[in-house]
Amino acid sequence: MESQLQEVGRTIHAALPGKSRHPLRVIDQRAMELASQDAELRAALFRFVDVTPACRSLDDLARHLAGYLEEVDERPPPIEAAMRMSGTRPGRAALGAAAAAGVRHMAHRFIVGESPRAALRPIRHLWEHGAAVSLDLLGEATVTEAEADRYAARCMDALETLSEAAPSWPARPVLEADSLGPLPRVNVSVKVSALTPLLRPEAPEVGREDAARRMLPLLRRAKELGAHLHIDMESVDTVEATLGLVFELLDEPELRAGPSAGIVIQAYLRESPDQLEQVLDWAARTEREQPLVVRLVKGAYWDHEVVDARQHGWTPPVFEDKRDSDRNFEALTRRLVESWPLARPAIASHNLRSVAHAVTVAREQGREDRDIEFQVLRGLGDDLAAALADLDHRVRIYCPVGDLVAGMAYLVRRLLENTANESFLGEQQRGTPIEELLAAP
Amino acid sequence: MSTPAALAAFRNEPILELRRAPVRESLAEALRELDARLPLEVPAWVGGDRLRPGEGGFASTDPGAPGRVVADAARATEADAAAAVEAAERGFRDWSARPAAERAEVLRRAAQILRERRLELAALQLRECAKPWPEADGDVCEAIDFLEYYAAEAVALDEGRALVQVPGERNSMRYAPRGVAAVIAPWNFPLAIPCGMAAAALAAGNAAVLKPAEQSPGSAGALVEALHEAGVPRDALSLLPGYGEVGAALVRDPRVHVIAFTGSSAVGLEIVRASAETPDGQGHVKRVVAEMGGKNCVIVDGDADLDEVVPEVVHSAFGYAGQKCSAAARVLVHEAAADTLLERLAGAVSVLDVGQADRFATEVPPVIEREAQERVERYAAMGEPLARSERPLPGEGWFCAPTLLADLPDDSPVLSDEIFGPVLAVTRVRDVDEACDVIDALPFALTGGLFSRTPATVERAAARLPLGNLYVNRGITGAMVGRQPFGGNRRSGIGSKAGGPDYLLQFVEPRVVTENTMRHGIPVE
Repeated sequence: MESQLQEVGRTIHAALPGKSRHPLRVIDQRAMELASQDAELRAALFRFVDVTPACRSLDDLARHLAGYLEEVDERPPPIEAAMRMSGTRPGRAALGAAAAAGVRHMAHRFIVGESPRAALRPIRHLWEHGAAVSLDLLGEATVTEAEADRYAARCMDALETLSEAAPSWPARPVLEADSLGPLPRVNVSVKVSALTPLLRPEAPEVGREDAARRMLPLLRRAKELGAHLHIDMESVDTVEATLGLVFELLDEPELRAGPSAGIVIQAYLRESPDQLEQVLDWAARTEREQPLVVRLVKGAYWDHEVVDARQHGWTPPVFEDKRDSDRNFEALTRRLVESWPLARPAIASHNLRSVAHAVTVAREQGREDRDIEFQVLRGLGDDLAAALADLDHRVRIYCPVGDLVAGMAYLVRRLLENTANESFLGEQQRGTPIEELLAAP
Repeated sequence: MSTPAALAAFRNEPILELRRAPVRESLAEALRELDARLPLEVPAWVGGDRLRPGEGGFASTDPGAPGRVVADAARATEADAAAAVEAAERGFRDWSARPAAERAEVLRRAAQILRERRLELAALQLRECAKPWPEADGDVCEAIDFLEYYAAEAVALDEGRALVQVPGERNSMRYAPRGVAAVIAPWNFPLAIPCGMAAAALAAGNAAVLKPAEQSPGSAGALVEALHEAGVPRDALSLLPGYGEVGAALVRDPRVHVIAFTGSSAVGLEIVRASAETPDGQGHVKRVVAEMGGKNCVIVDGDADLDEVVPEVVHSAFGYAGQKCSAAARVLVHEAAADTLLERLAGAVSVLDVGQADRFATEVPPVIEREAQERVERYAAMGEPLARSERPLPGEGWFCAPTLLADLPDDSPVLSDEIFGPVLAVTRVRDVDEACDVIDALPFALTGGLFSRTPATVERAAARLPLGNLYVNRGITGAMVGRQPFGGNRRSGIGSKAGGPDYLLQFVEPRVVTENTMRHGIPVE
């Protein structure tokens, strides 16, 4: 098994496109390399990106940037130059314009468009190149009923806009069926926390019920349109409500025949093996016609979970050693693949080892390659997606949609991930040898 | 003094993980068990004498169901107060003579007893004071924290302070307990605040007489029971459930050395005045530790992240129905962010969950009593509400609809009086500097908040604001022992910081000893 895994890993690695393919990306890469080397600089960069949508003018933007850079002790020459520019009004206007352009550029790397309609062209482009997408609507936090309603309306619009456009896309057999049957072209991811202002960890049922009344029309519409609706997972505080919501709604008799739907398991959670068992138990009981898609991810709220737990004196709900998380990812992958066709596995990882492991386990279990989906994030996993598509694997790119204001929290999280020292992508960029990239965790 | 070692040993008691269903179920079970035992009987403890609630007793009731009696308490009299002080003078001699480490051990044992009873104690204040679970649990943890923290601090304090030394002379500075401490406590943190004040007095070697609020004798009774069981001698700690006249008698008593008070400004200022009397025969000047009211403001800068501001402000203003001295009463918002903030705040206030404290979903429980309900309604009616919670209020209990008011005239009492209820007023300002002017003009200076993402603005406001506790980019309630020493300045308090390294100094007097070590021209050391 291990030797097959190594071979699969090397094959995927060899299929990765060369860096020269994306000349524009070099600029981002420079900034991120700078940021990952210096914690203070990284903090300044994040704080700046974070405040950008709240700034009212280029002058305001430049003042914020200078304010954050001031707290960096050792300033590399380009940063010093920026500080000098911030001293005068014309300097600030120029600096503000440059910084705004920089943030927009960075945002475009991770965010596919400002609206579903604006995203249609890049989505079609991806499809033509062998990658399906899941559309995710970025938004501000939902704190009112009106915001929850607006988010639900945006999801509805996304379902409809994509469904209108999708029939004109060319045939891509790898993306459109597995051995269990056809797979929808249209795929939208939704967040429970955005569907209700009432989601609170100590009373999950209240938020669950409120979110359910907005989720139900989305599921009904997805069924009519033949689209897939994926329910994302967020911080631990929302897991109980989210699982409960999915189990309850998808069991509704009117939804037995559809739509295709999915859920997420986060491998960094110590409780994720139990959660997966809960999902599989439910999947075994339900009378739904289509198997649930289970997207396996590492989890994107690690810092939040650890800090939150530390501040409260709790044991963090996440593995604190990355290797434990990676090992658990492999164990969950195996469990998921073995449980097929109870659930359709979707392996969402940028870690070459995890991906190669999943391919190998699936083959070892006698699954066809098309019975396992790979998912990556736009802006982070594009190269991996291209390589997997070249090798005829089924790939889906998670594509956030929204304006800068709505997308900022997402953007900051992605930047954090991309500049974290122990991230797989960081290692890959630093030229870590393939043996280490593929080493067992 | 507070040594790194003392701090290193201290850890805040972890609050319960209410996001876990089995934890919630254990609390619900504790409440069922408590309900089966109600009403509790709370005696007065005068020295070693246990006075049972008789004919003249009084009861605490559930603010969410005023027909439900939570505790039947003995009603202490002025004569009981005098007897308790007399016993305390006796108790002081033995207790103060014990080594600081031994006293600390007793307090740690009391902490352990509270820890073992934490579910039951949370349930008790849920019933007695309508404190919802997260906050009731937090209150029990804070009580445990005070015991542990002051125990450690007292041991450190006992080592005294370093002084300048020269040849031929030995200087030492130590701290001695003052004597009898009267502890007069409020109902809104029915375990933590009496516990903190009494624990500080006892840790430093004083005897204490506790007069709890008449609304929460049950919680105070449980506290005193735990301290006695842990080994605090009965004559070093008395409990006087009762009304204002008992507190007033303690304040007047010339044998009382320290008065530790937390409560309203009116009562606090009266205590300051009365304790200044130094009749013939009173061999000391009384020391007053007073934590009083506030009118706490949250400043929202134009660049604030409203995704954070809205939930944090709503929780700070309406959590426990606004009945915390640290609660947010006003928002001062930069005009650039005002319209959006008002719209989002209004939406968030209208979905607040008003209900009985025993529901885990409840965010806004009833207020403590009818009088409080009437007061809140009076203030809430002084403006056109921008939002009120839209849910129907339960028929029984002292419920008030959470209310958001905006753009009130400058002289509206809503902007200056401490309402102590679920009313939040929003005012637009030109910038953060104008907001600081508004806060500066208030007589109170307890807590406050600033949401801004400009480092220079944060620095400037922090330097300028007179507040005892300023919170930046977070909610303004929930101070943690050892992490956020808590207390107000100006007319909000006399500047002591509960749960901080200076607090015990209020309960001791410094003594310096200088010894000549020269004998026949030779330093003998």
